[in-house]
Amino acid sequence: MLSSMAAAGSVKAALQVAEVLEAIVSCCVGPEGRQVLCTKPTGEVLLSRNGGRLLEALHLQHPIARMIVDCVSSHLKTTGDGAKTFIIFLCHLLRGLHAITDREKDPLMYENIQTHGRHWKNCCQWKFISQALVTFQTQILDGIMDQYLSRHFLSIFSSAKERTLCRSSLELLLEAYFCGRVGRNNHKFISQLMCDYFFKCMTCKSGIDVFELVDDYFVELNVGVTGLPVSDSRIIAGLVLQKDFSVYCPADGDIRMVIVTETIQPLFSTSGSEFILNSEAQFQTSQFWIMEKTKAIMKHLRRQNVKLLLSSVKQPDLVIYYAGVNGISVVECLSSEEVSLIRRIIDPSPFVPPQAFSQCEISNTALVKFCKPLILRSKRYVHLGLIGTCTFIPHCVVLCGPVQGLIEQHENALHGAFKMLRQLFKDLDLNYVTQTSDQNGTSSLFLYKNSGESYQAPDTGKGSIQRPYQDTVVENKDELEKTQTYLKVHSNLVISDVELETYISYSTPTDTFQTDETLKCLSLERNRLTDDYEPLLKNNSTAYSTRGNNRIDISYENLQATNITRKGSMLPVSCKLQNMGTSQSYLSSSMPAGCVLPVGGNFEILLHYYLLNYAKKCHQSEETMVSMIIANALLGIPRALYKSKTGKYSFPHIYIRAVHALQTNQPLVSSQTGLESVTGKYQLLTSVLQCLTKILTIDLVITVKRHPQKVHNQDSEDEL
Amino acid sequence: MSRLEAKKPSLCKSEPLTTERVRTTLSVLKRIVTSCYGPSGRLKQLHNGFGGYVCTTSQSSALLSHLLVTHPILKILTTSVQNHVSSFSDCGLFTAILCCNLIENVQGLGLTPTTVIRLNKHLLSLCISYLKSETCGCRIPVDFSSTQILLCLVRSILTSKPACMLTRKETEHVSALILRAFLLTIPENAEGHIILGKSLIVPLKDQRVIDSIVLPGILIEMSEVQLMRLLPIKKSTALKVALFCTTLSGDISDTGEGTVVVSYGVSLENAVLDQLLNLGRQLVSDHVDLVLCQKVIHPSLKQFLNMHRVIAIDRIGVTLMEPLTKMTGTQPIGSLGSISPNSYGSVKDVCTAKFGSKHFFHLIPNEATICSLLLCNRNDTAWDELKLTCQTALHVLQLTLKEPWALLGGGCTETHLAAYIRHKTHKDPESILKDDECTQTELQLIAEAFCSALESVVGSLEHDGGEILTDMKYGHLWSVQADSPCVANWQDLLSQCGCGLYNSQEELSWSFLRSTHHPFVPQTCLPHEAVGSASNLTLDCLTAKLSGLQVAVETANLILDLSYVIEDKN
Repeated sequence: MLSSMAAAGSVKAALQVAEVLEAIVSCCVGPEGRQVLCTKPTGEVLLSRNGGRLLEALHLQHPIARMIVDCVSSHLKTTGDGAKTFIIFLCHLLRGLHAITDREKDPLMYENIQTHGRHWKNCCQWKFISQALVTFQTQILDGIMDQYLSRHFLSIFSSAKERTLCRSSLELLLEAYFCGRVGRNNHKFISQLMCDYFFKCMTCKSGIDVFELVDDYFVELNVGVTGLPVSDSRIIAGLVLQKDFSVYCPADGDIRMVIVTETIQPLFSTSGSEFILNSEAQFQTSQFWIMEKTKAIMKHLRRQNVKLLLSSVKQPDLVIYYAGVNGISVVECLSSEEVSLIRRIIDPSPFVPPQAFSQCEISNTALVKFCKPLILRSKRYVHLGLIGTCTFIPHCVVLCGPVQGLIEQHENALHGAFKMLRQLFKDLDLNYVTQTSDQNGTSSLFLYKNSGESYQAPDTGKGSIQRPYQDTVVENKDELEKTQTYLKVHSNLVISDVELETYISYSTPTDTFQTDETLKCLSLERNRLTDDYEPLLKNNSTAYSTRGNNRIDISYENLQATNITRKGSMLPVSCKLQNMGTSQSYLSSSMPAGCVLPVGGNFEILLHYYLLNYAKKCHQSEETMVSMIIANALLGIPRALYKSKTGKYSFPHIYIRAVHALQTNQPLVSSQTGLESVTGKYQLLTSVLQCLTKILTIDLVITVKRHPQKVHNQDSEDEL
Repeated sequence: MSRLEAKKPSLCKSEPLTTERVRTTLSVLKRIVTSCYGPSGRLKQLHNGFGGYVCTTSQSSALLSHLLVTHPILKILTTSVQNHVSSFSDCGLFTAILCCNLIENVQGLGLTPTTVIRLNKHLLSLCISYLKSETCGCRIPVDFSSTQILLCLVRSILTSKPACMLTRKETEHVSALILRAFLLTIPENAEGHIILGKSLIVPLKDQRVIDSIVLPGILIEMSEVQLMRLLPIKKSTALKVALFCTTLSGDISDTGEGTVVVSYGVSLENAVLDQLLNLGRQLVSDHVDLVLCQKVIHPSLKQFLNMHRVIAIDRIGVTLMEPLTKMTGTQPIGSLGSISPNSYGSVKDVCTAKFGSKHFFHLIPNEATICSLLLCNRNDTAWDELKLTCQTALHVLQLTLKEPWALLGGGCTETHLAAYIRHKTHKDPESILKDDECTQTELQLIAEAFCSALESVVGSLEHDGGEILTDMKYGHLWSVQADSPCVANWQDLLSQCGCGLYNSQEELSWSFLRSTHHPFVPQTCLPHEAVGSASNLTLDCLTAKLSGLQVAVETANLILDLSYVIEDKN
């Protein structure tokens, strides 16, 4: 009893937490979003519309809130987008779940759900739901993406084979991205800047490795300048090092460069050795030798036409002096990131190993186009005209802004955009389970497609299902006997299943549009459902014979669990039924890189639509319920996006138009220009579901008042 | 254990601008900056309750760096003004006041921040494109062949900083000095890419301002005793200079990570000293006349050099190294032996000089792009203020060299711009709105807020209860003294507009700045003869003002866009 109360409380608590977070993030979501000002403990001020940053800045204490924030940041780390949508979606999911428990307690509704209510009240309900969520995420979602959503996808590439990118589509993508990331008076400018940067850095051979390079070294590839208007931001060719020359000797033409990581001047003794001075003359000779040696090395460098020396350490005065005498510019104290960036850009790298100097053998020099000081707002930088490889042409972004906080915001947004592009340029693997063989795959597809029309003509729908069924029976005679017995068992189940279907559709009227539709088709559904069971069962057993054992075991566990929640009294029968009958075909497919959809909640509305259709068709109550909850929660995102819009552009209008277009097989028309990455949306969905699963599996939150370190350890265990 | 302390939760406030506290603090800041603005601005005395230095100022850079601002919104405002000032030196108060006004004026209009920001941005780009266009009626070309306009520019900057405490005569003197110092930094025969030299400001406190002076070359301050010891050199040709950046004190340099074992009886000090004396011999044989060292020179070496009639000066410090390198054309030497002959530089002459109570060693260059401005003022605070002002003026002159235009000062640019915007938004609102979702009414509201923000900036030029008027032809600013009798005939009361370009003898009609008046077309395209005839104009730096305008609007937009403030309480 105690644990169940705590479990129920945990969804409620999570909902409360999520609603608070939603209130904060919803103010900066979408194109109409506004800025949030954060102060750091050091007193610096930071402007942000980045959901992840906001959530971290809040320093939340509530354990569930902290868990949510952790989930968001790990999601952001890979995708660079979607923190705000994460919270909104999670909040709507929790609301959907909460609504179910509330309804259960409602005495008016009690009769409807009497048979199930008993079971729901059993202690483990949240755990089962969370398992259903896992099943959904691992087995169903990918299938819906692959089978239904994929036909709506557009590609960012103008030619998919060569992956060539045209500027206009990238502009649309980036504009939509920056709309939600930077202040509205700057987003156009920043997205143009990013677009320019992208096309200046890329060559025709560039691939995903460029995004990785820029993503990894973004800090080194941009320079922030305060005190200038944002519109002064620009892109400059080459690399800007954020330090000044130690010696600068103007040079033209063929400039060669070397990188060193140790002092060039030989020292008296190296680490671990001992230098014994016996006389004053010896000391003077050694000093003289050191001097002459340094001089010789620098002369040698000049003969090699080396005019630029980059050093990761501070060089002694002597080296600097002889460099100056020999017309070699020197930049000292490069950070290790800068060195590794240069080494990645230039191939082969002009890195000189320490021992090379003693032998005066310097072969690894690299050519630079120019090397000159760059003055940005009276601060001096080193500007190198590095010649890139065939995949990356080095360029730097100079970001200007009146305050540092704004520059940082733009920097983060640009970095995030590269992360997003990095994800977009990857193929996405989809693995899912279908419960039918190929034949029925197509037939069920047919059903979905025509789900709108099948209400008018249920007879044709029936026919199309039954035909493949008969075929399979003939093919699998050896399995026939078994299946028939289970069919008998199953006929008992059918009625209650339909009841459950009714219950679900009544129980989710959070969204008025969808409910109407479900109610309309309910009477017809009754017919269809009974028919549907037969081919499905039959085919499950067909596939069974060809499946490996281990896989089935895994899926069996999940299914068994879901069955328990479904029908307590019939548990042994249905469990056995599933054991025998649930053989599933595992399909894998992949979503090609560069899939995009128009912005403005298109992904959510599409997925919502297909999930509802799926839910109508599936027979397990948990699956139906989970699909419905997710489908309805998805609508929360476009609703938040269109919050401030009125009339033709308000959410109900958009939604009705979209659904109508889908039912009549017409293309969707988006009111906004702009594109968004499908991969990003998909990853967001899975991350949220994972987070929700985590929340649901917690039944008790125990507060421990001990040393912070201990508390922290406990937290991290919980999170894991 | 303290490091493991759990973080305190942050404080999150929504709609920060609507709270009373923010409004109060904003208006306090606004009062502080407005009261400082202009030639008759009031001074602020800033001092720390724990003692120490008292600063009397009316400049934004000094004021804002001393103010301790805690509210994050105010912090955004002050940092963005400070950042602007550190890049352009001028127009800090203008930026701050305009920003405060813009924020204040749109509150209570009842428009969404989106609309306000969008329209503000349109109006800003309207201003920028007008100020940059050929038809602009409030900017004049700067002619570098005569000093007239440049002097006006410098003088305007000096007069707008009352805390310098300069008399009229002193202002003239310092303006001329600043201009001279600036002109000395321009290389004589420059082709293509000009690299400006540097004006070093040398402090000379407790002297009359009139005693300030500009000298070509570098002044190195020394005690009288040291100076006496230096022997006078009489040489007709240029003097050969060696400039050392490494220490000549006889320290043993870095010996590496291993150990160095010195046998008994071996004196490294002697060995190093030998080395130094060898260096001395080389310098003498190379006929070096002057040895300068950033760090310390060993007394023995010093004496050796003096014996050979070589002047040795040490402890020059890192700040003088760059101008010295530039002026003498040397390569700073980092070696104790085998000096390349190319590393030596030269100066035309050296002499000693005494200004006030201070003694200086003066290096006179062959070709001067480095000069020293000996700046005098009566006391510390006034000197600090004057120094800041001089730096501002020098920077403004540099900016003007890059963009040879100046804006009419004295508030005329602002009133003219406001009149232009009003007229533009009334006549042709469609071209501004284009395809935006904003309505014309919204545009009128915001344009009015924007223009009145600009006008109240110049309104704050008047601190003595006077009235501010604007004429209906040029859109310039005219001010009337407080105690003047209210008469219908403005022409007798007014003499000159704020910038001094027009006088009241023309047939003009005036109206109060704050009163509502019909939009009119301010005269664009400044006639050339008008500029030529006027000798005493008040001018502003175009680059600084443009950036100030942009920063003010951008910052105001940023602050208006805030929906939450999250304060980290750790």
